[in-house]
Amino acid sequence: MNAPESPKSFERDTSEFPNPVPRPKDELEKLKRPWVPPKGLSFITAVNNTYVGMWYVGTALLFFVLAGILALIMRTQLASPESDLVGHDLYNQLFTMHGTVMMFLFAVPAVEAASVYLLPNMQAARDLPFPRLSAYAFWAYFVGGLVFFSTIFFGLAPKSGWFMYPPLSSLKYSPEDNADWWLLGIGFIEISAIAGAIEIIVGVMKTRAIGMSLDKMPIYSWAMIVFAAMIIVGFPAIILGTLLLEMERAFDWPFFIAERGGDPLLWQHLFWFFGHPEVYIIFIPATGMVSMIVPALAQTPLVGYRLIVLALIATGFLSFGLWVHHMFATGLPKMSLSFFSAASTAVAVPSGIQVFAWIATIAAGRMKLNTPSLFIIGFLFIFVLGGLTGVMVAMVPFDWQAHDTYFVVAHLHYVLIGGMVFPLFAALYFWIPAASKRPLSERLGRWVFGLMFLGVNVTFFPMHITGLIGMPRRVYTYPVGMEWHELNLISTVGAFMIAAGVALFIYDMLRNFRPVQDQNAGNVWNAGTLEWLPNGNYGVRSIPVITSREPLWDQANLAKDVEAGRYYLPGTVTGGRETIVTSPFDARPQYILQIPGPGWQPLLAAVFTAGFFLLLTVKLVFPSIVCGVLAVGCVIWWLWETDPGPVRPPADIGGGFTVPVYVTGPMNHSWWGMISLLVVCGMIFTCLVFSYLFLWLVNPGAWPPEGVVVPHFLYGAVVGALYLASAALIVWASRNLRGEDRRRPASVPILIAIALLLFVAGSAMDLWSHWQTGLSPKEHAYGAAVYGIVSFQVLFVGVTLIMGLYTIARWLAGKLDSVRRTTFDNTMLFWYYTTAQGLGGAAVVYGFPKLVGGY
Amino acid sequence: MLGGFLAWAVQFTVIYGVTSTVCARGWADTTVLGAGIVPFTVAGTTLVAAVAAAAFLVHALRKHRRLQSADASVTDVFLIQGAVLISAFSIAAILWHGLPALILPACS
Repeated sequence: MNAPESPKSFERDTSEFPNPVPRPKDELEKLKRPWVPPKGLSFITAVNNTYVGMWYVGTALLFFVLAGILALIMRTQLASPESDLVGHDLYNQLFTMHGTVMMFLFAVPAVEAASVYLLPNMQAARDLPFPRLSAYAFWAYFVGGLVFFSTIFFGLAPKSGWFMYPPLSSLKYSPEDNADWWLLGIGFIEISAIAGAIEIIVGVMKTRAIGMSLDKMPIYSWAMIVFAAMIIVGFPAIILGTLLLEMERAFDWPFFIAERGGDPLLWQHLFWFFGHPEVYIIFIPATGMVSMIVPALAQTPLVGYRLIVLALIATGFLSFGLWVHHMFATGLPKMSLSFFSAASTAVAVPSGIQVFAWIATIAAGRMKLNTPSLFIIGFLFIFVLGGLTGVMVAMVPFDWQAHDTYFVVAHLHYVLIGGMVFPLFAALYFWIPAASKRPLSERLGRWVFGLMFLGVNVTFFPMHITGLIGMPRRVYTYPVGMEWHELNLISTVGAFMIAAGVALFIYDMLRNFRPVQDQNAGNVWNAGTLEWLPNGNYGVRSIPVITSREPLWDQANLAKDVEAGRYYLPGTVTGGRETIVTSPFDARPQYILQIPGPGWQPLLAAVFTAGFFLLLTVKLVFPSIVCGVLAVGCVIWWLWETDPGPVRPPADIGGGFTVPVYVTGPMNHSWWGMISLLVVCGMIFTCLVFSYLFLWLVNPGAWPPEGVVVPHFLYGAVVGALYLASAALIVWASRNLRGEDRRRPASVPILIAIALLLFVAGSAMDLWSHWQTGLSPKEHAYGAAVYGIVSFQVLFVGVTLIMGLYTIARWLAGKLDSVRRTTFDNTMLFWYYTTAQGLGGAAVVYGFPKLVGGY
Repeated sequence: MLGGFLAWAVQFTVIYGVTSTVCARGWADTTVLGAGIVPFTVAGTTLVAAVAAAAFLVHALRKHRRLQSADASVTDVFLIQGAVLISAFSIAAILWHGLPALILPACS
């Protein structure tokens, strides 16, 4: 392949390199040593992004195949009318599991998995900043996902649809454990997704190549930061929803039971506030991949970089204004519906911007018709068709006609397969040469594309018509004479064509995919971005300075110079795993991040976390609690080895940069991680307050219901005062822990201990004040909502208690001082958040009933 | 940089929240300055949000002009260009979301 003509290449003056060559003989060996993964059984404890990323992608593809098999069973059942291949109960489980597994166990994990592999390589970081968190997220997903999927073999799979609408999913209509598997299993897998999102946010913002400022960041990194931000804002709604529905099912707290003041529509709001952004959460990383692949294949820079960044951010925002378009048929006022209709049409604009930018890039370059480019063209065709039908269903009157028919099935599959599956396959064919000794077969790839492209259109295009002539979704069979059978038969043939394409892809993988960390197939596309630099387990030999968005095109000999160790940090300065942390905007070196290596802790923590949730599902409460305690123990064991402190003086990384190996405060990567986590917590709490207000709205004159006494406001004031006093003590402790002399003032653990007592006292008083009035969480949604907010605060105070005791333990062990204080800072941030949440919760439960005249 | 979209988010939350509350509680007949409470809120919020987004746009354009004359970093120019694009797009989105108040009845 020829080098690109534009932009012009230039020779770098060798005197500008940060480090001279030749490098010391043993430097590379010392760099390699800490990154070698464990051998034998312990290999599964590896945390390198390359290994975890590959396992993660492989597992996501496994779930794609498994959910696809479920689809084939359904299509076979529907191929002819009145078929008795499967009964209605199994069919209900099949469509529920197909949707759930595709969305929660394939689509989101697949794009997150790909980023675990790609992001550090694309940004020339040695690894993600929290590799053990990635490993935890993967193992939690792997174990939880497989156990969840296996329920289909025992008739225990959920069967209320992937959206689990109550009252169908409530205890009254789903008395068995099937629904609980969904609620606890999926809620838990969401935690894994959030862990991955936090990793991505910090990874994109803090670990980039030197000079990779925001304007030079790969579009994929932009896409992943928007994706991760959407997860931490959107997923809390479904976590809260599953929590509330599970509390209703387990403890009879009537959040969704209309007879006792609840409302099933509350579930729909919570579900779709997550569920619609979810579509874009899947789509945005795929567009990021496309924006990387198209320029490489067309051998020209991406057209409209700034506009694409705008489109990604705009999609991220607007997608949160769409959720009610799944609820057009629920009887909401037309004015309300119109706001969501407007947002649904507006979001087509940024998608259109991206489509035109890709077409312009293709037109500006010389794209060959190879397998990845075929999948890109297939993506454009299928996704645009899906987008157009999306605009149709965004029109309320049309949606009322098409609602719950096969038209919607056709639309959503066009969008999701076009918008995510085709880009993913393009990405697999495109990036496998960076991870494998051999690329995949071009000849087989064309067959894979042909079968999948024709298969998708043969399957789903007829469904538009099937839907328009009246066939409803989720029916396990249909009578003869409805004139649906021919279209259904065609759809079934198409589904098997897709399956044949996927089977051929698996064969190609088995034949050609040979994973390696070095000696990969190389830059076979002559791409311009950093993931194509030569690398090993340790990432790149030296971390380059980049001057453009396609450095491999614009900086001649970059690969050779990076490999020779001419750039930054060509060895190891601490003797362990490390990478350079850069400033979020302009990517200047800030400090050296000491990265933790392999260990059993994240794996065991994930297994026990999965055990906690899954055993709880089958009501094995005691073993579940044991698993929960063990999971917390493993997390503490894992954390104990982190926060290493300044193990050596600031180190020279080359080019005149001497950077510290440890920092605290807002520059620290874990500070960013904690802030991201607090956004998640804040969103869950916001959704909880929304639920409270929603239930008030649907209960005119019953807030509180007759006979219920709201505790005197004084109780709330005392609760708030205790929380504030506790936080004030932490402020005091923080002040005492300042200085550069590595002091360990004895007042710190004492202040933390007193603050903990005040916190627990505040929380206990909060709970007791409601309990003493005789308020029951079971009688009315009011009580459920109040205890929901109070229990949520109790949970957070409990977590703060563990964190506070852990911080004291670190002090006692000599692992906490005025310099080495990241642990304290994280606890402090969480403490402040919990205080604010407690105050907000108290204002709602004590103040709101008074505000609306309840007492 | 994200000011325009934040203005849109506030507008969206307020107009949907007020419409839902008013309709659920049967307050649709309440008037403010002679106009129904729902159209008044939608129009008022849309106006305020659009003005806010326009202010972000003007501020971004001025800053962009200053940066072009000064020795500004490429990153700063990129960010301010992003702010210009986002603010302009947000104004269109805000006005688009306010349109229903001119066409539809409040709570039917």
